[in-house]
Amino acid sequence: MTEAPIPFGQEPSEQRSEQAMVVAPQITPVITAESQSIPDVADVLIIGAGAAGAAVAWRLAQAGFSVVCLEQGQWINPALYPTKDRNWEILGRHEWNWDPNKRGRPDDYPVNDAESAITPLMFAAVGGSTIHWTAHAPRFHPSDFRVKTLDGVADDWPITYDDLDPYFDQNDMMMGCSGINGDPAGPPRSERPMPPIPLGEDGTHVAAAFDRLGWHWWPSDSYVNSEPYKGRDECNYCGPLGFGCTRKAKSSTDLTYWPEAIRLGAVMKTYSRVSEITVGPDGRATGANYFDRAGNVQHQAARSVVVAANGVGTPRLLLMSKSEAHPNGLINSSGLVGRNLMFHPYTITTGLIPGLSETWKGPMGNILMSQEFYETDLRRDFVRGYAYQLNRGTGPLATALGGAHEPVGWGTGHHEDFAERFGHSVTLAGIGEDLPEEHNTVTLDEQLTDSNGLPAPRINYTLSENSRRMMDHSIRSATTVLEEAGATRIMANPLLREGGWHLMGTARMGEDPERSVVNQWCQAHDTDNVFVVDGSVFVTAGAVNPTPTLQAIALRAADYIAHERDDLKR
Amino acid sequence: MPTTDRRITDVDRVVLTRMLDLVIPPADDFPGAGGLGLTERLERSSLRYGRLRSGLLAVLDAMSLDMASRVEGGFAALDEERQIAALKTVETNLPVQFGEFIELVYETYYTDSRVHERIGWAGRPPQPEGFDLEPWDSSVLENARKREPFWREVS
Repeated sequence: MTEAPIPFGQEPSEQRSEQAMVVAPQITPVITAESQSIPDVADVLIIGAGAAGAAVAWRLAQAGFSVVCLEQGQWINPALYPTKDRNWEILGRHEWNWDPNKRGRPDDYPVNDAESAITPLMFAAVGGSTIHWTAHAPRFHPSDFRVKTLDGVADDWPITYDDLDPYFDQNDMMMGCSGINGDPAGPPRSERPMPPIPLGEDGTHVAAAFDRLGWHWWPSDSYVNSEPYKGRDECNYCGPLGFGCTRKAKSSTDLTYWPEAIRLGAVMKTYSRVSEITVGPDGRATGANYFDRAGNVQHQAARSVVVAANGVGTPRLLLMSKSEAHPNGLINSSGLVGRNLMFHPYTITTGLIPGLSETWKGPMGNILMSQEFYETDLRRDFVRGYAYQLNRGTGPLATALGGAHEPVGWGTGHHEDFAERFGHSVTLAGIGEDLPEEHNTVTLDEQLTDSNGLPAPRINYTLSENSRRMMDHSIRSATTVLEEAGATRIMANPLLREGGWHLMGTARMGEDPERSVVNQWCQAHDTDNVFVVDGSVFVTAGAVNPTPTLQAIALRAADYIAHERDDLKR
Repeated sequence: MPTTDRRITDVDRVVLTRMLDLVIPPADDFPGAGGLGLTERLERSSLRYGRLRSGLLAVLDAMSLDMASRVEGGFAALDEERQIAALKTVETNLPVQFGEFIELVYETYYTDSRVHERIGWAGRPPQPEGFDLEPWDSSVLENARKREPFWREVS
């Protein structure tokens, strides 16, 4: 006889609180398309409601364009995030996992990552992956846009840091940045609207170790409120940033850009999974076909299309959008759509420091960053560089399961191993600059499909030798810091497989239509009314979290449309 | 082939309870995972997550099929040393499934309020209380501020 599995969302155990009963799929729609006026033909159709799509929607709605966004996911009510549930650690490993394959929500599409050294992570919802990000908010360096000129590798960007500077500032104000000026690792910049998140005992302890070594560190720039900001609470340092914040202290675009964009007239259509960007006989975009919640195919007409579906979803959609005018996929005459996929390879070096006792207290990340090894140094055996983020310890379950390391051993010695780790661990996560390589790709899988029968993305990715040497260096240097901080045991993971938060490069920008997909304004070379605004347009990856940079790029592209493309307005 | 579609029997439960005590043994006067009575909860949790249930059933099946155990009257009849050896054999032969089994055991044990109390964990969800941190103090930057800018300027 077969025991039926417990349906998703129902109580599996007597220990689950009542809140668990309403977690995950039971999401409260905050705003529905039915309550908004939907234009028959939108000036701008945005595909994807994440970090970049939200920024574009806000700016263009502000400029008087009619904006419609198609988002495959839904609004998530922050009150339902799992951090109020006593089984929050279990929910984080399953229903709220960063990996869509493990999460398996109906809104997600599967990803074939069997041939990838790194698993792509993403979230389908209004807010996109800002729902589950840790909200680190560093900026790319000026050198990141000139890697060919400075170091003879990859390509220069068609834009500079200075081009983005005002948009970085604008984005910091919209998202809400906590941080402090004076960092010698980066150029001078405007004041952040909030002071830094406190370092905590553990952060202060590790910062002192950096100081003794004479190595750089600086408090993290963070899109987490250190004080109340724009109607959202300040952080109460609960720890797990990666689920969404019940207090709305962690910024996500469903809380920042989208409410403003909708107030300005932008229309959000949730549960709308785009299957194809449609084009006319001239090859220009005419809108998009999408599946609605009931699985029926609908069409939204538009004068322009802005694709913001992340570095995996965007090439997937472009490759699915084949037509007579675009036989290799939309805006793919260069053949570069889906190529040059970059992740940030992460190393995880964890030190167990007996002098620290409650390292689970405080935000998991957003403590401090070191950019001591960010810029190229010809004395090393790799080009470009990496940064460190300091991360705290975790809850008891994640500690027992090891996180990025081996689980606590079972049997004799189990309790001693657990006690050595729990509350005593701090981690230096090394985030390395991946260089673009055309053989690292997103393509369409021939077998795997999503719930609408659309082909899933297939990832082929190998770590380069340069990245490998860089990552090895990061472990050695992290070990030096952690030993200086008094670690009695150090565990190192040379490549975090489940670390593909940053998806970049698969529709790169450039001046040459044969070597790039979009121009400096994120406008496709092939078709003047298609824009790509997410991490896909990155030419290189830098070595910091990319979201502030991709949002600045999106705001700049939107500014271009607002000022130069009146022809797209009704 | 591991399966998720069979019932767990009373015999399985006896074996499982013993296995739990071997995986997470008693500590001082605190019972092991089996002695805490976590078997039923673990079994129920496995119904929610099919991958972990596969691991659980694969390990139970491996135990019931172990010839050495059967000769002695089953896993429960072995002395502790041989029980541990039997578990290690499964770990070696079925590493993926055994890993899933361990994951399930740890998920059950380390979310138990009695365990939280023992290890000094707050024993509550992170929200709504959160935690306290000392306020931000700019004096920690005294050394870091002394460093000259070292980012690369580009023309």
